[in-house]
Parts: sequence; C-alpha cells; structure tokens
Amino acid sequence: MTGVRLSLLTRERIFGVVLLVPCFLFVAVFAFYPILYSFYLSLHRIILGLPRLGEPFVGLTNYRDLLHDRIALHALGNTFAFVFISTFFEILLGLAIALVINRHFRGRGLVRAAILVPWAIPTVVSSQMWRFIFNDKYGLLNFLLYGSQTSSYVAWLADPAYAFTAIVAADVWKTSSFAGLLILAGLQVIPDELYDAARIDGASAWQQFLRITLPLIRPALLVALLFRTMDAFRVFDLVFVMTQGGPADSTNVLQFYGYKKIFAEGLMGYGSTISVLVFLVTFVVSLLYIRVVGRRFLQEMG
Amino acid sequence: MDKIVKPGIKGGVAFAVLLVVLTVVLLAAGCERGVDDGRVTLRFVTWKPNIPEVWDEIYRSFEAENPDIRLVREIGPHSSTAFHDLLTQKLKNRSKDVDVFLMDVIWPSEFAAAGWAMPLDDLFPPSEQAGFLRGTIMANTYRGKIYGVPLFIDSGMLFYRKDLLQRYGFSPPETWQEMVRQAEVIVGGEKGRGVEIYGFSGQFKQYEGLVCDMMEYILSNGGTLLDHAAGRCGLAEGPSVEAVRFVRDEIIGRIAPRGVLTYQEPESLDLFIQGKAVFHRNWPYAWRVSNDPSKSKIAGKVGISRLPHFPGGRSYSTLGGWQVGISSFSGKKETAWRFVSFLTSERIQKLIALRAGKAPTRTALYEDREILKANPQFSEMKDVFLTAYPRPTTPLYPALSNVLQRYFSKVISDPGSEIEREAGAACEEIERILALER
Repeated sequence: MTGVRLSLLTRERIFGVVLLVPCFLFVAVFAFYPILYSFYLSLHRIILGLPRLGEPFVGLTNYRDLLHDRIALHALGNTFAFVFISTFFEILLGLAIALVINRHFRGRGLVRAAILVPWAIPTVVSSQMWRFIFNDKYGLLNFLLYGSQTSSYVAWLADPAYAFTAIVAADVWKTSSFAGLLILAGLQVIPDELYDAARIDGASAWQQFLRITLPLIRPALLVALLFRTMDAFRVFDLVFVMTQGGPADSTNVLQFYGYKKIFAEGLMGYGSTISVLVFLVTFVVSLLYIRVVGRRFLQEMG
Repeated sequence: MDKIVKPGIKGGVAFAVLLVVLTVVLLAAGCERGVDDGRVTLRFVTWKPNIPEVWDEIYRSFEAENPDIRLVREIGPHSSTAFHDLLTQKLKNRSKDVDVFLMDVIWPSEFAAAGWAMPLDDLFPPSEQAGFLRGTIMANTYRGKIYGVPLFIDSGMLFYRKDLLQRYGFSPPETWQEMVRQAEVIVGGEKGRGVEIYGFSGQFKQYEGLVCDMMEYILSNGGTLLDHAAGRCGLAEGPSVEAVRFVRDEIIGRIAPRGVLTYQEPESLDLFIQGKAVFHRNWPYAWRVSNDPSKSKIAGKVGISRLPHFPGGRSYSTLGGWQVGISSFSGKKETAWRFVSFLTSERIQKLIALRAGKAPTRTALYEDREILKANPQFSEMKDVFLTAYPRPTTPLYPALSNVLQRYFSKVISDPGSEIEREAGAACEEIERILALER
C-alpha cells in the first residue's frame, strides 16, 4: 500500500468489519427482514380471501384484538405450561444423562452416541412415532399397560389432559439428550483434582455433587435452560403431527394458532401479530437470561 | 506483522465478495427452469390418490392424445386441510408453477374472492353446466360466475354390517336413536358370542371432517349452522344444541370408542373393515375399500344406506367432492382448459367411477349400466347426491371452519361440557367473522 499509512489497529478494525459483512448480510436477509416485515404486516388488516377490502393500516387494533381473543390467551397458557413442564423435565433428565455418560465405563462412546439418537431424528418423524405409540388400538403404550386386554385400551390422544401430557412426553424424550450434551460440556471442564481433594477431606459423593459439581456446571445448566426455553416456546411440529391442536384445543399452542390464522384462514395481519408476540416473548426471555446469566457466565467461563 | 496483515485485508474482502456472489448464485439457481423440448408444460397440482394406477393411466392417455403438451404433476398431501395450505401458499405468491389444480368443494368461493381461480364462464357456459348435478354447480359458483368444473362428488353415507343386522333381525336404521339401540343390541349379543365389536365409527378429530359429520346431525334435527344471508349463527338454538348433546352422550359416550375423537377417515374406516364396528359413516369410496377382500375382513358383508335422522327431521348428507380449477396466474388458459375438459369428460369420469369408485358429477352417468353394475350403490346414492347439502359458502369459510372445529371438539370430548355456553361463545366469533365480509 502506498500513500496513506493506516495504523495497525485501524487496519485490523477494517479487517474485522469486512469479515463481519457476509454474516451480517445473512442475518439481515434471513432474520431482520422477516421480523420487521411481520411487524409491518401486524399493523395492517390483510385478509387474503377478501382482497377487495384492501390492506388498510389499522395501527394497534390487531394487538388489542389479541388481548381479547380467548383462544389466543388459552393457547398462550398452553404454551407457557408446555415450556415450564417440558423444560423442567428436560433439564432434570439431561443432568442425569450427563452425569451417567461422564463416568468412565466400557462402551461409553456407544452409549453417548445412542443417547443422541432421539435428538438426531427429525421432529416430524419422531412425532409420527409417538402418535403410533399413543394410538388407541395398536399403540405400544396400551400394549405395555394392558397386554391383550384390548377392552381396557385407552384413547390417549382423545383425552385433553392425556393429549397434553403426550406432547410433553414426546418433547422430553426428544430433547433431554440435547440438554444432556450441553451439561456434559460443563462437567468435562471440572478438574479431577477438585474431587481428589474433596475425597481426601472426607466429603461424601452427595456432598461432592452439591459443593463441586452443581456450582461448577451452573453456567452450562443455564445455557441449556436458555436454549430449551426458547425452543420449547416455539413448539409447532409436535402439535402439528400429533394432535392438530385438539382435542378440545387442549394442545393448541401459540405458534400453531398463528400458523392456522395465516395459512388456513388467510388472516395475514392478525396471524403476523401472533408471530410478533411469540418473537417478543422469546426475545424478552433471552434478554433476561443473558442479563442474569450472561455476565456471570462470561466471567466464569472466560 | 505488516506483511501478514495486508494480504489478510485483501483476502478478507475477496472472501466476503465470494460469499455474497455465492449466495446470489444459489438463490438464482432455485428459480431456474427445466429444459425445453418444444412442448408446452402444464403444471397440475393434485393430491396423492388412493388408487394411483387409475390416475397414472388417465394422465398417460391425455399426453398421448395431446402430444404438444407435457403434463407435470405436483403431488400434495392427502389431507384436504394440508393440501389447502400448500396450494394457497403458491397462489398467494402468484406462482407460475400452478396452471391447473384440484379444489375441495368448500374452496371455490374463497379462491374466487381472492382472485386465485379464473372465472370459466366463456369455456363452461350454462348449457354445459346443465349436464352436472345441481349441488356441484352451486358449489362452484360465486357471485354469479363459475370457477371450477366438478370432477367427482362425495356425500356422507351410512355403511353397516349387513350380516349382523340380519342376524338380529334389524333393517337399516331410519333414526339415530334406532341406530344406537340396534348397535347396543348387536354389541351385547356379539359379546356373548365372544366377539368384540363397537357400535359405531366416524370422524370426530378436531379437523375439517368434524364439521362435515356434526353438520349431518344438526341438520337432520332441523337445526342450522348459520344463516349466511342474514349473518346469523344457529349453533345455540335448541335443535342444534340437542343434536350436539346426542353426539356427546349417545354416540361418543355410548356406542363409539373414545378413540373416534382422534379419527379421520382412514382410521375410522380401518376399524370398520377390521370387523370392529357395526355402523360406519364415511364417503362413497369406503364402499370399494370395504368390499375389497385384500384389504377388508368384511368384504361382501357391507350394506349402505342414507344417513339416519332425528324423529321429525329428515336425512342430510354433507356435500363433498373435488373440482378442477385454473389459476388466474397461469397464462396458458387454452391449454389448461383442454386438460380440464378432458379430465371432467364423460369418458374419464366413467373410468374414475369404474376403477376408483368415485361418484361422477355428470347426471347422465347415473343411467350408465356398466357403472351401476360396478357400483350398485350409486343408484341409491343419486337421490342422496341430489339433496346433499353444501357447507356454508363464503370466502371466509376456513376461518369459520376453525371456530366450528374448536367448538365441536370442545363440547364432544368433555362429557360435562356446557354446550349452550360454548355455542354462544362460538356464535359470537362466527358473527364477528361474518361481519368482516360486509
């Protein structure tokens, strides 16, 4: 380079910015634009079936309607219940999985790989599988419980409470191993010396777990919690395949309701409002986590 | 240090440029067209049929008779709701990948109002329309214009076990109450002989089919879903509530397994052809399947009749069936019409009736000896088809249907549901939707 000589720092900064451009473009096209466009749509009344009504700007009317939409509120309640219950069990089971596969035993590699299988199966496929398991006539669950007494077979997915439990169970089965994997990463950075020292001091296994393991994997636990909460909030495919929101709307979650509004009913504006709500809730949740967790996480990991 | 950083900057820029170019190229590649061999390509969006051989044969003979056209089929999902989502997604985007498509009987008004389906009045004039069953023409008409050509018709029918009804000395039930009584006698009697069987199977999952089934109970009790012209909802009125309560307490609570709350057509038919149900409500295609010895354990033991009604009411069947429409964004109207008129011609409808068991929409075919020989049930069904009742015709039907599905599912899956209160709430929502149209 001739002429102007930039300082090393400036040049590195330029280099950094240049490297960020492709990534930024990608995020802008595939994340920012759809979000902003959904927000734009949510301020209009757009009914695909009635183009003669035009696409008038209605301000926050859609948001006001959403607050009074008892089905949306019901779906919101279902979604929160789903998030809390499934995440709780996923973290608990994930912790158990991580503790088991962190131990040294023969065939550990195989077990580690096997535990990830549920997570590797596409959700649509595993939902279909669970639908068969819960089937009232030839489902595995009925067979395990009642054997050949077919008259006692229960139609699990026909009962609102069981159907909800069923989608939670399917989700826990599928994603616990993912939570386990994240927690395992946290377990593996704990130096063995700490346990050696604890043993010399006469700490029991339970004390070691409470005083060493748990505090040290907390960052990993919180990351797992963050991922699972956000993911659970966007649950859609399980419901779509297993129950279509029924029976009696007991498994209708917000994402599925929004999908119905946009794709089945053609209410683009109102459906987008629901999408924006889902976005806002996940956004706020992630901000909270990052504020509460992030700083400490960075300190501890960094 | 200096020397290391400099190429770094250049490398970085090159890398960024490369990525952007690559992205653009990849996006553009997605829009490329296939090769051209001089033939006009016609794109037809259809679903996965029950008996694919018949349809393959039809498409092959169309191409053989029209060497200048290449027919490209896009196969959508079997479920009407899922098919609707796929097709409307394409039409919404004014996709050029759709020329001709199948429409469920409830869609023409929506597709017409949205400007997705092309009006066909010049190609399909009233003189031509006169040869079709009236209900099917009505279903394809929106504000005085016609938007689709009926391909085949469906309507709800009652299937029953001829052998069992005979054994217990019953004739096919006239009323729903009679059906419940017969079912209980037969189920009880069969239990004594060591045979496990349910009284009834139908479609009660939360989906479009639930609306079809429930409408038949409500209308056969003199009730109504809604009076569209007046923008009034009839769900909360006496006869409607009474019919819904009957389904909850007598059908699902008594003679049908609770599993019907998760059944669509295939699952409910499965129960019947496994010999596990005395009565079964389905569309006419079930006749062929249940009499096919390779699929059914009850082949030859099946009877078919009109659906029962409530005392003082009359039998109603929900009108179903499929139409062929042309996309407004196609730009190949003439070519598309050649295919539509071929598919709905008397010759092809006859083939479909003979080989796939679908009931034709052309009135004349109900006099055809060959068809009646292969489908003896059609002669009886013609009367049903002539009186079959369409679901509400409005461009906002999908939104209405979702409210109805939710309401019905809610009140029939909970034995303690408050039907009147739920019906009132559903009506409020329905009236709010109907108000949008004004």
